Amino acid sequence: MPANDSNASVQLEGRIRELAQPTRLADGRELPVLSFYFVQDLARSLGRSRSPQTVRPRGQSLAQVERAALALGVCPERYLRNFDTYSLDEQLRLLSSSVAMVGLGGLGGYVLELLARAGVGNIRAADGDEFVASNLNRQLHATRRSLGGYKAAAAAARLKQVNPAISFEPVASFLDEAGMGSFVAGSDLCLDALGGLKDRPALLRQAGNAGIPLVTAAVAGQSGFVATVLPGERGPADFFGAGEGAEDTLGTPAPAVAAAASLMAGEALNILCGREPKLAGKMLVFDLGQMSFETVSF
Amino acid sequence: MNITLKCFATLSRFTPPDADAYPIAEGDTVANVVDRLGIPLDELKLVFVNGNHSELTVTLADADRVGLFPAVGGG
Repeated sequence: MPANDSNASVQLEGRIRELAQPTRLADGRELPVLSFYFVQDLARSLGRSRSPQTVRPRGQSLAQVERAALALGVCPERYLRNFDTYSLDEQLRLLSSSVAMVGLGGLGGYVLELLARAGVGNIRAADGDEFVASNLNRQLHATRRSLGGYKAAAAAARLKQVNPAISFEPVASFLDEAGMGSFVAGSDLCLDALGGLKDRPALLRQAGNAGIPLVTAAVAGQSGFVATVLPGERGPADFFGAGEGAEDTLGTPAPAVAAAASLMAGEALNILCGREPKLAGKMLVFDLGQMSFETVSF
Repeated sequence: MNITLKCFATLSRFTPPDADAYPIAEGDTVANVVDRLGIPLDELKLVFVNGNHSELTVTLADADRVGLFPAVGGG
């Protein structure tokens, strides 16, 4: 690191130490917390030209401040209620991790929201689709206003509102298998949030080629499943074929879609924290009609 | 001998009224049960017996739990 960068980072660390407030948690433990507004102020003060108070800090600078705080054992206020489900070390790990997700519809919209709030630092997401009225029953970013617009664009706008520290790379196109290969390369984890069966086997293969785990889910009616597929292993897509799915008959109502998305995000965050995937070689199957959950093994 | 049957998604229309204690005969395989329920084989994509992926040819035992899945791909 050049001398002036190293100087700046020492200065930043000093400011974080000064501004961090010891906060008493409900269980009596004390945790140093850097308030939301101090993160903004410090982010504004970074970079070549210092930005005035009125200017929104750049996402990259916010991420730099948050990472520096976490490395010092200081919790940025926005992540306070992640603690200590995710320890400060794990939170730092999440901010430094990258995921590639394909699909920004029902599953993808919710998964993106959950990963962004959790603080997954680098997210690339692809969907070439535009919103239509039949998406309104379940897709988080589908609103009267977004109808006709690209799902990838709506996702980017939402992400900026929710957590601008996330480096988000939206791709508003449908990927063929070769495209999926280059899209997932370099990420820590692949998320299959596709709709329909057609493209899922290709994504499973390409995540395997990239040597990264794939977290996948699908829904039909009140039923759905979530699974993790490690490189070289078989996943649900290997059994289902590319024909019609049960969702063509039963539809995709919101509770099942959001439940599957939550389970995907929970598993994804565990994996990104460096914990063992709980659904590797398995499939968690739920039926909200029966309120039943069961995990089965391949 | 009885088994517990769970038919998911579109296969739930084949769920018998006695799915919690579905009678089977000695030597019955998953395929026999699927046939008796009238489930078209092209609609059945995954079979689980006692929580493990299983083939149609597996012989069932008393108290086995059988899960039957169609293709599911909605998102």
